[in-house]
Amino acid sequence: MILLISTCREKLSDGEFLGPVKRVVKDCVVKHFSEVDKVDDYDKIIICGTSLQDNECFEDIEKFLWLTTTTKPVLGICAGMQVMALTFGGVLLDSFEVGMIEIETLKENDLFRGTFSVYSLHSSGVNVSNDFDVIAKSATTAHGIKHKEKPLYGLLFHPEVRNHEIIQNFINM
Amino acid sequence: MKLAALFTGGKDSTYAIHLARQNGHEIVCLITLKSQNPDSYMFHTPAIEVTELQAKSMGIPHLLADTTGEKEKELVDLERAIITAKWKYNFEGVLTGALASVYQATRIQKICFGIDLWCFNPLWMKDPLEEMQELLSHNFEFIFSSVAADGLTKDWLNKKITSEDLERLKLLNANNKLSFSGEGGEFETLVTKCPMFEKEVIITARMVMENSCTGKLIVTGAELK
Repeated sequence: MILLISTCREKLSDGEFLGPVKRVVKDCVVKHFSEVDKVDDYDKIIICGTSLQDNECFEDIEKFLWLTTTTKPVLGICAGMQVMALTFGGVLLDSFEVGMIEIETLKENDLFRGTFSVYSLHSSGVNVSNDFDVIAKSATTAHGIKHKEKPLYGLLFHPEVRNHEIIQNFINM
Repeated sequence: MKLAALFTGGKDSTYAIHLARQNGHEIVCLITLKSQNPDSYMFHTPAIEVTELQAKSMGIPHLLADTTGEKEKELVDLERAIITAKWKYNFEGVLTGALASVYQATRIQKICFGIDLWCFNPLWMKDPLEEMQELLSHNFEFIFSSVAADGLTKDWLNKKITSEDLERLKLLNANNKLSFSGEGGEFETLVTKCPMFEKEVIITARMVMENSCTGKLIVTGAELK
């Protein structure tokens, strides 16, 4: 079973950031990040994004410390990638990209390859710690990260909008 | 949270209001852009004048702003309308019925972020047939106010959509005669009755067809009953 984690402060945002991922994943358990204490009962975990104005999950970053100990595959989308980077000592950077943009793969991985078009909606990017490789980037910022030893993936863009196959690849991994 | 809803009078923006209220938000005003360009990239145009009656029926203040509907310039008109409404009604966020159009959604997101407002799109990426099924189950009544797709002939215009119609739409979709997967525009809708309306909207209209599968309603009269 897959655990889908909402990072949305407002439940009304779940329709926009969690709903489209849920429609791709189908069978899953949904929890808000504040309710998550252990994740090892699940096969895989997806942390969804949130609204441009919503910073609550960054103010409560200790709620994501399970990321540093889990051995389960995790996919962090947008805010999900940002909290992933932060829990390993990374920092947020100003980066405003809204709309369809081109992404280039930098390192071979199980989720995607080549250059492709994605939907982006973010006001921050990340500068990751040495625990991560940057596996994809846009013209201005890192859009894909992968932990060097664990199956932890982060995507700054939103695959639930125009790149469902990437979520499917994560599920099938 | 106090929200302003971008309101077209169609099923998506009306359903978004319903969902926002269910989640405890207060809709303090409705904003409608009346575009002079029937082919506007941003704004729904058929039967847009009926929004005034729909707003009255919901008891929500309504701001109707004009735009020439010229690409990009219409975004300046939208931003100006949101700023004017914010000054008057003091809200923290904007609600839209954006379903699939990346073009529309990203432009509204940028405007909201630029003026420090939350942006809510609760129907984002929702399957339109599933949405229409939900609307019928919540006692929403709506008609098609325009059609622009193979298989959607004149008889779909000004017709109250029923469960049987959804089955017909599913068939058209399955036969690839009608696609719901793109940026929208295959049809536009007008909500005539729903649990949030105190009175039903009754319209009289004539149909203008450009060809056998492209046409719209021209509203000649409307009242609340």
